[in-house]
Amino acid sequence: MSKAILVTRPEYDYTTRFISAWAVKVIDFAKSKGTSVFDLSKERATKREFESIVEKKHPRFIFLNGHGDDRMVTGQDEEVLVKCGENEKVLKSRIVYALSCRSAKELGPESVASGADAYIGYDEDFIFMYSNEKRLRPTEDKTAAMFLESSNQVAMSLLKGNSAQASHLSSRRAFIRSIQKLLTSKVAQEDSSAVRYLVWDLQHQVCLGNREAKI
Amino acid sequence: MENEQEIKELVIARLKTLPNNKDISIGSSGEFSKDELIEAVENEDQLGKKLIEVEMNFLRTLKDGLYYE
Repeated sequence: MSKAILVTRPEYDYTTRFISAWAVKVIDFAKSKGTSVFDLSKERATKREFESIVEKKHPRFIFLNGHGDDRMVTGQDEEVLVKCGENEKVLKSRIVYALSCRSAKELGPESVASGADAYIGYDEDFIFMYSNEKRLRPTEDKTAAMFLESSNQVAMSLLKGNSAQASHLSSRRAFIRSIQKLLTSKVAQEDSSAVRYLVWDLQHQVCLGNREAKI
Repeated sequence: MENEQEIKELVIARLKTLPNNKDISIGSSGEFSKDELIEAVENEDQLGKKLIEVEMNFLRTLKDGLYYE
Protein backbone atom coordinates (compact mmCIF):
# COMPACT_ATOMS: atom_id res chain seq x y z
CA MET A 1 0.00 0.00 0.00
CA SER A 2 1.46 3.37 -1.00
CA LYS A 3 0.81 6.71 0.68
CA ALA A 4 -0.38 8.02 -2.67
CA ILE A 5 -3.84 9.50 -3.01
CA LEU A 6 -6.39 9.04 -5.76
CA VAL A 7 -8.80 11.90 -6.48
CA THR A 8 -11.80 11.68 -8.80
CA ARG A 9 -13.07 15.01 -10.20
CA PRO A 10 -15.80 14.79 -12.80
CA GLU A 11 -16.92 18.10 -14.28
CA TYR A 12 -20.12 18.31 -16.29
CA ASP A 13 -22.55 20.54 -14.36
CA TYR A 14 -22.25 23.43 -11.90
CA THR A 15 -22.17 21.14 -8.86
CA THR A 16 -19.30 19.01 -10.15
CA ARG A 17 -17.55 22.11 -11.51
CA PHE A 18 -17.51 23.65 -8.03
CA ILE A 19 -16.44 20.57 -6.07
CA SER A 20 -13.82 19.69 -8.68
CA ALA A 21 -12.29 23.18 -8.56
CA TRP A 22 -12.16 23.14 -4.77
CA ALA A 23 -10.63 19.64 -4.74
CA VAL A 24 -7.60 21.11 -6.53
CA LYS A 25 -6.72 22.80 -3.24
CA VAL A 26 -6.42 19.35 -1.63
CA ILE A 27 -4.32 18.12 -4.55
CA ASP A 28 -1.99 21.12 -4.26
CA PHE A 29 -1.64 20.57 -0.53
CA ALA A 30 -0.87 16.85 -1.00
CA LYS A 31 1.79 17.67 -3.60
CA SER A 32 3.32 20.29 -1.30
CA LYS A 33 3.81 17.54 1.26
CA GLY A 34 5.45 15.29 -1.30
CA THR A 35 2.50 12.91 -1.62
CA SER A 36 1.92 11.30 -5.02
CA VAL A 37 -1.46 12.23 -6.46
CA PHE A 38 -3.42 10.37 -9.13
CA ASP A 39 -5.92 12.88 -10.42
CA LEU A 40 -8.81 11.51 -12.47
CA SER A 41 -10.45 14.69 -13.71
CA LYS A 42 -13.21 15.21 -16.29
CA GLU A 43 -13.20 12.47 -18.97
CA ARG A 44 -10.65 10.47 -17.00
CA ALA A 45 -13.12 9.98 -14.14
CA THR A 46 -14.30 6.60 -15.44
CA LYS A 47 -14.72 3.25 -13.77
CA ARG A 48 -12.03 1.71 -15.94
CA GLU A 49 -9.42 4.32 -15.02
CA PHE A 50 -10.49 4.30 -11.39
CA GLU A 51 -10.16 0.54 -10.95
CA SER A 52 -6.91 0.49 -12.91
CA ILE A 53 -5.23 3.10 -10.69
CA VAL A 54 -6.45 1.42 -7.50
CA GLU A 55 -5.16 -1.96 -8.67
CA LYS A 56 -1.79 -0.77 -9.99
CA LYS A 57 -0.87 2.12 -7.69
CA HIS A 58 -2.48 1.01 -4.41
CA PRO A 59 -3.38 4.47 -3.09
CA ARG A 60 -4.01 4.49 0.65
CA PHE A 61 -6.45 7.41 0.45
CA ILE A 62 -9.24 7.82 -2.10
CA PHE A 63 -11.00 11.18 -2.35
CA LEU A 64 -14.20 10.81 -4.37
CA ASN A 65 -15.92 13.93 -5.69
CA GLY A 66 -19.10 13.57 -7.69
CA HIS A 67 -22.76 12.76 -7.69
CA GLY A 68 -24.01 9.70 -5.93
CA ASP A 69 -26.81 8.06 -4.05
CA ASP A 70 -27.24 5.56 -1.22
CA ARG A 71 -25.47 2.81 -3.13
CA MET A 72 -22.96 4.47 -5.46
CA VAL A 73 -20.60 7.29 -6.33
CA THR A 74 -20.29 8.36 -9.95
CA GLY A 75 -17.68 9.93 -12.21
CA GLN A 76 -17.87 11.84 -15.49
CA ASP A 77 -21.41 12.08 -16.88
CA GLU A 78 -22.69 9.95 -14.00
CA GLU A 79 -20.75 6.85 -14.98
CA VAL A 80 -20.72 4.56 -11.94
CA LEU A 81 -17.27 4.39 -10.30
CA VAL A 82 -18.07 2.30 -7.26
CA LYS A 83 -21.34 0.63 -6.37
CA CYS A 84 -22.66 -1.70 -3.68
CA GLY A 85 -22.82 -5.30 -4.80
CA GLU A 86 -20.70 -4.53 -7.85
CA ASN A 87 -17.18 -3.41 -6.98
CA GLU A 88 -17.10 -2.02 -3.42
CA LYS A 89 -14.26 -4.46 -2.72
CA VAL A 90 -12.02 -2.11 -4.71
CA LEU A 91 -11.99 0.08 -1.59
CA LYS A 92 -10.51 -2.68 0.58
CA SER A 93 -7.76 -1.44 2.94
CA ARG A 94 -8.31 2.18 1.83
CA ILE A 95 -9.37 5.30 3.65
CA VAL A 96 -12.15 6.91 1.63
CA TYR A 97 -13.65 10.37 1.76
CA ALA A 98 -16.68 10.75 -0.50
CA LEU A 99 -17.90 14.28 -1.17
CA SER A 100 -21.02 12.89 -2.68
CA CYS A 101 -24.66 12.60 -1.73
CA ARG A 102 -25.92 9.89 0.60
CA SER A 103 -23.20 7.31 -0.15
CA ALA A 104 -22.51 6.83 3.57
CA LYS A 105 -25.98 5.32 3.89
CA GLU A 106 -25.31 2.00 2.15
CA LEU A 107 -22.10 2.14 0.11
CA GLY A 108 -20.09 3.26 3.14
CA PRO A 109 -21.20 0.45 5.49
CA GLU A 110 -20.96 -2.13 2.67
CA SER A 111 -17.45 -0.97 1.79
CA VAL A 112 -16.34 -1.25 5.40
CA ALA A 113 -17.91 -4.72 5.60
CA SER A 114 -15.89 -5.61 2.49
CA GLY A 115 -12.63 -4.41 4.02
CA ALA A 116 -12.39 -0.65 3.53
CA ASP A 117 -10.39 0.69 6.48
CA ALA A 118 -12.47 3.84 6.99
CA TYR A 119 -15.20 5.61 5.04
CA ILE A 120 -16.10 9.24 5.65
CA GLY A 121 -19.05 10.62 3.74
CA TYR A 122 -22.58 11.94 3.95
CA ASP A 123 -25.69 9.93 4.77
CA GLU A 124 -27.92 12.57 3.19
CA ASP A 125 -27.70 14.98 0.25
CA PHE A 126 -24.69 17.32 0.41
CA ILE A 127 -26.16 20.78 -0.10
CA PHE A 128 -24.26 23.97 -0.83
CA MET A 129 -24.99 27.53 -1.81
CA TYR A 130 -22.99 29.41 -4.41
CA SER A 131 -22.98 32.81 -6.08
CA ASN A 132 -24.28 32.47 -9.60
CA GLU A 133 -21.91 35.18 -10.84
CA LYS A 134 -19.00 32.97 -9.73
CA ARG A 135 -20.04 29.89 -11.68
CA LEU A 136 -17.08 30.24 -13.99
CA ARG A 137 -14.64 31.07 -11.15
CA PRO A 138 -15.75 28.70 -8.37
CA THR A 139 -12.71 29.13 -6.12
CA GLU A 140 -13.33 32.90 -5.91
CA ASP A 141 -16.76 32.29 -4.42
CA LYS A 142 -16.77 33.10 -0.69
CA THR A 143 -20.23 31.62 -0.25
CA ALA A 144 -19.23 28.25 -1.70
CA ALA A 145 -15.99 28.45 0.30
CA MET A 146 -17.89 28.14 3.58
CA PHE A 147 -19.12 24.72 2.47
CA LEU A 148 -16.25 23.36 0.42
CA GLU A 149 -13.37 24.50 2.63
CA SER A 150 -15.15 22.90 5.59
CA SER A 151 -15.67 19.72 3.61
CA ASN A 152 -12.08 19.71 2.30
CA GLN A 153 -10.87 19.76 5.88
CA VAL A 154 -11.45 15.98 6.04
CA ALA A 155 -8.85 15.40 3.34
CA MET A 156 -6.48 18.12 4.56
CA SER A 157 -6.47 16.68 8.06
CA LEU A 158 -5.89 13.13 6.81
CA LEU A 159 -2.96 14.40 4.74
CA LYS A 160 -1.50 15.99 7.87
CA GLY A 161 -1.38 12.53 9.41
CA ASN A 162 -4.48 12.66 11.57
CA SER A 163 -6.85 9.73 12.05
CA ALA A 164 -10.13 9.29 10.20
CA GLN A 165 -12.14 10.25 13.28
CA ALA A 166 -9.93 13.26 14.06
CA SER A 167 -10.26 14.41 10.45
CA HIS A 168 -14.03 13.99 10.53
CA LEU A 169 -14.16 16.07 13.73
CA SER A 170 -11.81 18.66 12.25
CA SER A 171 -14.20 19.10 9.33
CA ARG A 172 -17.16 19.37 11.70
CA ARG A 173 -15.35 22.11 13.60
CA ALA A 174 -14.74 23.93 10.31
CA PHE A 175 -18.47 23.81 9.54
CA ILE A 176 -19.22 25.07 13.05
CA ARG A 177 -16.76 27.97 12.64
CA SER A 178 -18.50 28.97 9.41
CA ILE A 179 -21.89 28.81 11.14
CA GLN A 180 -20.74 30.82 14.14
CA LYS A 181 -19.13 33.42 11.93
CA LEU A 182 -22.41 33.91 10.08
CA LEU A 183 -24.42 34.11 13.30
CA THR A 184 -22.18 36.35 15.32
CA SER A 185 -20.69 38.85 12.92
CA LYS A 186 -22.19 41.65 10.91
CA VAL A 187 -22.78 39.67 7.76
CA ALA A 188 -25.20 40.43 5.01
CA GLN A 189 -28.57 38.69 5.17
CA GLU A 190 -27.70 36.95 1.92
CA ASP A 191 -24.77 35.18 3.57
CA SER A 192 -26.52 34.25 6.80
CA SER A 193 -29.14 32.38 4.80
CA ALA A 194 -26.48 29.73 4.16
CA VAL A 195 -26.56 28.62 7.80
CA ARG A 196 -29.44 26.16 7.37
CA TYR A 197 -27.47 24.24 4.71
CA LEU A 198 -24.19 24.31 6.67
CA VAL A 199 -26.05 22.81 9.64
CA TRP A 200 -27.50 20.12 7.38
CA ASP A 201 -24.10 19.09 5.98
CA LEU A 202 -22.49 19.15 9.40
CA GLN A 203 -25.16 16.88 10.84
CA HIS A 204 -24.95 14.37 8.01
CA GLN A 205 -21.20 13.84 7.73
CA VAL A 206 -20.29 10.46 9.24
CA CYS A 207 -17.15 8.43 9.86
CA LEU A 208 -17.46 4.66 9.46
CA GLY A 209 -15.04 1.79 10.04
CA ASN A 210 -11.69 2.07 11.79
CA ARG A 211 -11.74 5.52 13.36
CA GLU A 212 -8.04 5.33 14.17
CA ALA A 213 -7.05 4.68 10.54
CA LYS A 214 -4.36 7.02 9.15
CA ILE A 215 -2.86 7.48 5.69
CA MET B 1 -53.58 18.69 7.47
CA GLU B 2 -53.79 22.28 8.69
CA ASN B 3 -50.45 21.78 10.40
CA GLU B 4 -48.89 20.56 7.14
CA GLN B 5 -50.20 23.63 5.33
CA GLU B 6 -48.77 25.89 8.03
CA ILE B 7 -45.38 24.21 7.75
CA LYS B 8 -45.43 24.60 3.99
CA GLU B 9 -46.24 28.29 4.30
CA LEU B 10 -43.51 28.74 6.89
CA VAL B 11 -40.92 27.08 4.65
CA ILE B 12 -41.97 29.18 1.65
CA ALA B 13 -41.73 32.34 3.76
CA ARG B 14 -38.23 31.36 4.84
CA LEU B 15 -37.14 30.50 1.29
CA LYS B 16 -38.30 33.94 0.16
CA THR B 17 -35.51 35.39 2.32
CA LEU B 18 -32.85 33.67 0.18
CA PRO B 19 -30.80 36.08 -1.93
CA ASN B 20 -31.60 36.31 -5.63
CA ASN B 21 -27.97 36.04 -6.72
CA LYS B 22 -27.33 32.65 -5.08
CA ASP B 23 -28.21 29.18 -6.31
CA ILE B 24 -28.45 26.01 -4.27
CA SER B 25 -26.87 22.70 -5.26
CA ILE B 26 -28.86 19.79 -3.88
CA GLY B 27 -26.92 16.70 -4.80
CA SER B 28 -28.12 14.77 -7.79
CA SER B 29 -31.36 16.75 -7.83
CA GLY B 30 -29.45 19.61 -9.46
CA GLU B 31 -28.97 23.33 -8.99
CA PHE B 32 -31.87 25.62 -8.21
CA SER B 33 -32.72 29.30 -7.97
CA LYS B 34 -34.81 30.71 -5.14
CA ASP B 35 -37.94 30.74 -7.32
CA GLU B 36 -37.44 27.12 -8.32
CA LEU B 37 -37.09 26.09 -4.67
CA ILE B 38 -40.29 27.89 -3.74
CA GLU B 39 -42.12 26.32 -6.67
CA ALA B 40 -40.98 22.85 -5.56
CA VAL B 41 -42.39 23.39 -2.07
CA GLU B 42 -45.64 24.75 -3.49
CA ASN B 43 -45.95 21.68 -5.73
CA GLU B 44 -45.01 19.35 -2.85
CA ASP B 45 -42.76 17.34 -5.17
CA GLN B 46 -39.80 15.28 -4.03
CA LEU B 47 -37.48 18.28 -3.95
CA GLY B 48 -40.08 20.30 -2.09
CA LYS B 49 -40.35 17.61 0.58
CA LYS B 50 -36.58 17.59 0.95
CA LEU B 51 -36.54 21.37 1.39
CA ILE B 52 -39.21 21.15 4.07
CA GLU B 53 -37.09 18.53 5.84
CA VAL B 54 -33.98 20.76 5.68
CA GLU B 55 -35.83 23.85 6.96
CA MET B 56 -37.59 22.02 9.78
CA ASN B 57 -34.34 20.33 10.75
CA PHE B 58 -32.70 23.76 11.02
CA LEU B 59 -35.53 25.21 13.11
CA ARG B 60 -35.37 22.20 15.47
CA THR B 61 -31.61 22.67 15.75
CA LEU B 62 -32.11 26.34 16.60
CA LYS B 63 -34.62 25.37 19.25
CA ASP B 64 -32.24 22.81 20.76
CA GLY B 65 -29.33 25.23 20.65
CA LEU B 66 -26.81 25.75 17.91
CA TYR B 67 -23.24 24.63 18.03
CA TYR B 68 -20.75 26.11 20.40
CA GLU B 69 -17.72 23.88 20.75
